[in-house]
Amino acid sequence: MQKFIFVFAALFLLGNSGYAQKLFTRDAKIKFSSDTPMEKIEGLNKSGTCVLDAATGKMEWKVLIKGFLFEKALMQEHFNENYLESSTFPNAQFKGQITNLSEINFSQDGKYTAKAGGKLTIHGVERDVNVEGTVKVSKGSVEVLSNFVVKPEDYKITIPSLVKDNIAKEIKVVVSAVLQPLKS
Amino acid sequence: MKSKRLLYILLAVVVIGGAVGYTLWNKPHQDIGAAKADIAIDAVALYNEYNTDENAANAKYLDKVVAITGKVKEAAKDGDGAVKVSLEAGSDMGVVACELSPFASHARTDFQAGEQVTFKGKCTGLNLDVIFVECVEAKK
Repeated sequence: MQKFIFVFAALFLLGNSGYAQKLFTRDAKIKFSSDTPMEKIEGLNKSGTCVLDAATGKMEWKVLIKGFLFEKALMQEHFNENYLESSTFPNAQFKGQITNLSEINFSQDGKYTAKAGGKLTIHGVERDVNVEGTVKVSKGSVEVLSNFVVKPEDYKITIPSLVKDNIAKEIKVVVSAVLQPLKS
Repeated sequence: MKSKRLLYILLAVVVIGGAVGYTLWNKPHQDIGAAKADIAIDAVALYNEYNTDENAANAKYLDKVVAITGKVKEAAKDGDGAVKVSLEAGSDMGVVACELSPFASHARTDFQAGEQVTFKGKCTGLNLDVIFVECVEAKK
């Protein structure tokens, strides 16, 4: 009987840990673009971190502002010094939750629509956001992708009136990450 | 006659102003390969400094050209051909990650695990790893 209970308990624990796992990457890509008739500005960061708990849907993204690269050096300089003030606010992050977790099966290959809600912090300003994206499960890796829009004024990013026509009112952001199970 | 001279001066101002503006606008990224490093440090020591006092380390290293020396843990190429070299930091938790510069040409982009290398690059801070961008391998 005791043996039976032990086996049962072991199976129960194993079953639970099956997808009680954390997924992680340190190579998340964060890209944003500002498109106006005057000019197109793009910044790209390839060293974001993303951790997703597949069991609870909890998710965190973090990226260093100084790691965004621009084609033009001057844009990179203005982005850091004047707009994002990266020496004062060195990173941006999202802390939240997948809100439709029941619709995503992390143990079955496929492409799922995902919804997430949480707090996005940029330039020291924290705001509640809701975004949509996709979760693609294939052979043990999980790819998360989302497109959303950020308004500079929502995050107290002031654009001087001289260049206000050069910078979009709505900045398009694309985040993507290929996550691997976290070895603990 | 006087107004003609004024016109020439005005024209010169516009041309010079435009040229200066255009040059500034197209200012190239800093040539890290040719730049002299502000600070030289070992990857393990740098990682320790960051994990002891992040703010102090940021004050010391951000926006500087840093020569960083360490042992290659792994080197990875992404879908765009961008290379990221991870240097051992004496910890299981993180590495010193060096993104090769997309703005510079590189003598080589293949690095083997275990070899000792020195990169010059710009420190962007701590996000689990200490991350460097715009890296160029330093000439020996």
